[in-house]
Parts: sequence; C-alpha cells; structure tokens
Amino acid sequence: MSKTKITIDEVKRLAGLSALEFSDEELKAFIPEFEQILELVDEVKNCDIGDSKLEYTSHKLSDCREDVAKESLPQEEILLNSPKTKKGSFCVPKMLD
Amino acid sequence: MKIDELSLIDLAKAISEQKITSYDATKFYIEKCEERKDLNAILEIFDDALDKAKEMDEKIKNGFKGKLAGVPVVIKDNILYKGKKASCGSRFLENYVAQYNSTVVQKMLDAGAVIFARANMDEFAMGSSTETSYYGITKNALDPTRVPGGSSGGSASAVGAGLTPVALGTDTGGSIRQPSSYNGVVGIKPTYGRVSRYGVIAFASSIEQVGPITKNVKDNAYMLEVLVGGSEHDETSLKTDVPSYLSQIKGSVKGLRIGVLKEIEEAVAGFEVEKSYRDTLKMLKENGATLVDVSIKDFKLTLPCYYIIAPAEATSNLGRFDGVKYSRRSPDAKDVDEIYFKSRSEGFGKEVKRRIMLGNFVLSSGYFDAYYNKAKKLQQKLINESKEAFKKCDCFVLPTTAGVAFKLGAKSGDPVAMYKEDLFTIMANILGTPAISVPFGKGENGLPLGIQIVADRLNEGVVYNVADFIESKGGDYARV
Repeated sequence: MSKTKITIDEVKRLAGLSALEFSDEELKAFIPEFEQILELVDEVKNCDIGDSKLEYTSHKLSDCREDVAKESLPQEEILLNSPKTKKGSFCVPKMLD
Repeated sequence: MKIDELSLIDLAKAISEQKITSYDATKFYIEKCEERKDLNAILEIFDDALDKAKEMDEKIKNGFKGKLAGVPVVIKDNILYKGKKASCGSRFLENYVAQYNSTVVQKMLDAGAVIFARANMDEFAMGSSTETSYYGITKNALDPTRVPGGSSGGSASAVGAGLTPVALGTDTGGSIRQPSSYNGVVGIKPTYGRVSRYGVIAFASSIEQVGPITKNVKDNAYMLEVLVGGSEHDETSLKTDVPSYLSQIKGSVKGLRIGVLKEIEEAVAGFEVEKSYRDTLKMLKENGATLVDVSIKDFKLTLPCYYIIAPAEATSNLGRFDGVKYSRRSPDAKDVDEIYFKSRSEGFGKEVKRRIMLGNFVLSSGYFDAYYNKAKKLQQKLINESKEAFKKCDCFVLPTTAGVAFKLGAKSGDPVAMYKEDLFTIMANILGTPAISVPFGKGENGLPLGIQIVADRLNEGVVYNVADFIESKGGDYARV
C-alpha cells in the first residue's frame, strides 16, 4: 500500500483553503500527523467497493414541506449575534476604495 | 420520597401527581450541580430555571398534562434553546445566544420539561474525551482521574453523577454511547432521521443524531418517545408515525435472533471488554435467544470511512463561522480576509483546525473522488452488507468500547489513538441504524463496561427490549 506523502506546500495550500493561520512550527507539525491519519483513511482509497453506487443516505420516505410563505426571524434578532452591525446589516471593513 | 432515588419515569409521575413539586426537584438537581462543580460537567445553570419550575407547578395545578411536566432536563451545549447561550464547547461561540428553539427543545418544552442547564462537550463535538472543550476538561462521574468520554462527556458525566435525571447528547461517531459506557449510564443513538436535527449546531450532517442519556433503559425509551418525530425544518427527519417504545420492552428475549458479527469476534479478542461481551452473549442464549453468525465483511473500514465523511462535512458546516455573522470577530482584523483568517484561527481549537484541514484535503481537487466519493460508495456497500445480515437476525450485540474509561490526558497527544476509541460505535452512524449502550460487567477498578445493541433502521423497539433485558441481568451500574 503506497503511503500518501504530504509536503509543506500542500499543508500551506490546505491552510489557505481552510482560512486558518498557523506558525511555521504548527505547519510542520501537521505533516507527520496528517501522514498518520492518511495511513488510516487510505484504506478506503485502496478498498474494493464492487459496483456500489452513490445513493442518498437519508430516508427515501422523507418529503418536502408545502411551499407556503411563513414568518421568519425578525431582522434585529438575526443581527443580535453579529460582532458588528450597521443600519440593519452585517458590517465589515471597506473592501473597495 | 427521595428525589435522586426516583427514575425519570417515577419522577415525572410524582410531579404530575403533585407529590413532589417541579420547584423542589429542579432545586434539588441545581444544588447537586453546584456540589459537583469539580466535574466541570455543567457549563451553565440557567438563571430562570427555578422560575420556570414554579410556572410549571402552577400549570400542573391547573390541569396541565405532559410526559415531562415539571421534569428537570440538561441539554448538550450544541442544542439551541431560545435566549440561552449555546457555545458548542468553542471559544468561537463564547457569546452566541440561540435565537430560536431546536425541534428537540421545543418538543421537550411542549411536554412540560424544565431545561435547567447546559453540559460541556468536546469543541464542535470533535473528540472522544471532552478534553477539547475551550471551557476545560470534564471528569468522569465514577473516577475523576479519568475521562468521561466524548463528545457528550458533560451530559453523560452529569447523569452518572446524579446531577440530572436525564440529559440530551448528540452522536456522530459514538458521542452518546461511548461516554454513556464510561459513566455507567444508558445512551441511544436513534435511527438517522428519527429525531430532527433542526437547531442543533451541525458537525457531520449525514450521520449525526440527537439522543437521550439516562440512568436506565426504560427511562431512555420514555424520553426518546418525547424527542422523535419529524420537523418541517429538517428534510432528513422522518415524518412517519411515532411508535411507543416502552410497550415494546417485554422483559424477555425468548425467540429473538441475536446476530454475532464475525468481524467483532475477531476485533474484540484481547480487549478488556471481551469477557463482558462473551458473558452477554452467553446470558442471552441461556435465556432463550438464538445466536446467529452474521458478517459485515467491511466492518474494519467503517473507521477510516468515518474519518473521511465526518471531516469533509465538518469543513463545509464550519465554513459559516467567518467572523461576520456569529459571535466572534478577531479584534486585530483590519480587512475582510483578516476577519476570516484571524477570527477562525483564534476562535477554533487544535482538534477542530485539524479536522477542517483534513476535510479540505479529502474534498480538494485531485482527492475528492479518491476519498469522499469513494467513502460514500463504501458507506452504501456497508449498508447493503448490513441489510443482508439483518435478514438473518433481529439485532447485533457488540461492545461499546474496548475497555473502561481511560486516564485524563492518556490519548490527547495522539489523534489516531483517540480516533480508534470509536472503533465499535462508528458502524451505527455509517449505517444510519439505532444503537444503544447499556452497562454490563466491570473492568479495571470496578469501572463499568458497555454493551451495544444495534438493530436495522427504525427498530428502536428491539434495541430497547434487548438492552432492558441485559440491564435486568447484570446492569450493576443501573442506579434506579
């Protein structure tokens, strides 16, 4: 079984995709950890699944509700958990000059 | 009438018959929580709990009837209760206040429950020891030098230590059953879709479920009857009829076909739990059940399958925590990118970050087919294998964990050793089947061991019947 190798560039790429910042030491520490975890999950990569197909894992019995408009949460309540709001909106720093 | 000697069912009855007030029962359990702060099982006792209990007493006097009328209940910290904090064990959601009730909370309130506290958990339910919570580790109810299991460690420790008659947990890979086993209590992961996940902070949406943790099996069946039923807000929740589980507990296993999985027979060899497992099978046979040899050929792949599906779904679910909408924003963020990167880096703990990274790895281009799609196809293969096995038997019996609760810190530096904690429990999440853990037998230092009963989807009644029988024949840790 071939062992999946991870490079520091791969870890940096994943950190970017994950929107996470790490120190150089933390990034390096991911390599052996990841390789160990990948050794575990590589068993799936290499297994024989025969003719098994992708299917919904949820029950086929489920159905959708009637498409009827209902009252939703008030705007003020939705904004209550936001760290910064302005005039009824989520507020972030200026994106364009 | 001593409150802590009453089962959940008897307490509910005593309160509804006005032999005990909800106020006294709630006050009793709040005081218990205060006495056992050392366990760090409870994160917050809600300040309006006693007022709510008084209101319930008034309602009961005026004729209110409900299965949980006036009964104190604890919820896990990832279940939304309007107006109350739900921090998911994370710094990110330190000040997050629920804006609506989850379906399970609404169902309990409709049944008259007094939800009085929230319990600690592994951050975002990612862990098997409740050591990854931002709010500190929780300790085992029976031995405070050991872990309570996880991720519902706070809930299970609270029930085990008698701080509440019942607590809700959530189970994505064993997070109700493993801590139940470690604290000598009973916990069920219901069939996928049996209980609505609406208002439960999502981790791995296609495999997780909410379920009750109680002191005994009948209490558990009683509680699940309150929680089940579909919700219009959760498309995956089942809208089918809600059965009575208690009436399916017969006090007998005569004629039942108990599936003995070949792969479990091999996996269990040499583990501390082996004797309890074999004693359980022997006892069931002596009492009229038939043991049937069955097989799920790919059982050993359930663990790696889980460690692809769960991080992949977690990565997507945790994408919403961006420093804009929920709770926390880094004070140092100067532009939009920094809001995302800094808020997430400061808000999430190590294990959560590890799983987000792993999730992005298996979902990223070049790997998606090799890992995630392959894992989902494997999941279907496992489901097909289980359907064949369930044609020959009514349920499987297997251990919950390899041994008793391990020492605090013993596995926290080794993610793969921690992941292997879920070896026996993950199968039910991958299959979407119900699975319960019930104490049977003891291991090191007299600590409890747990046995699991797993049946085909929607067969919670069988699971409860067999679990109740096992409990009656040696559930030394059944407190009531």
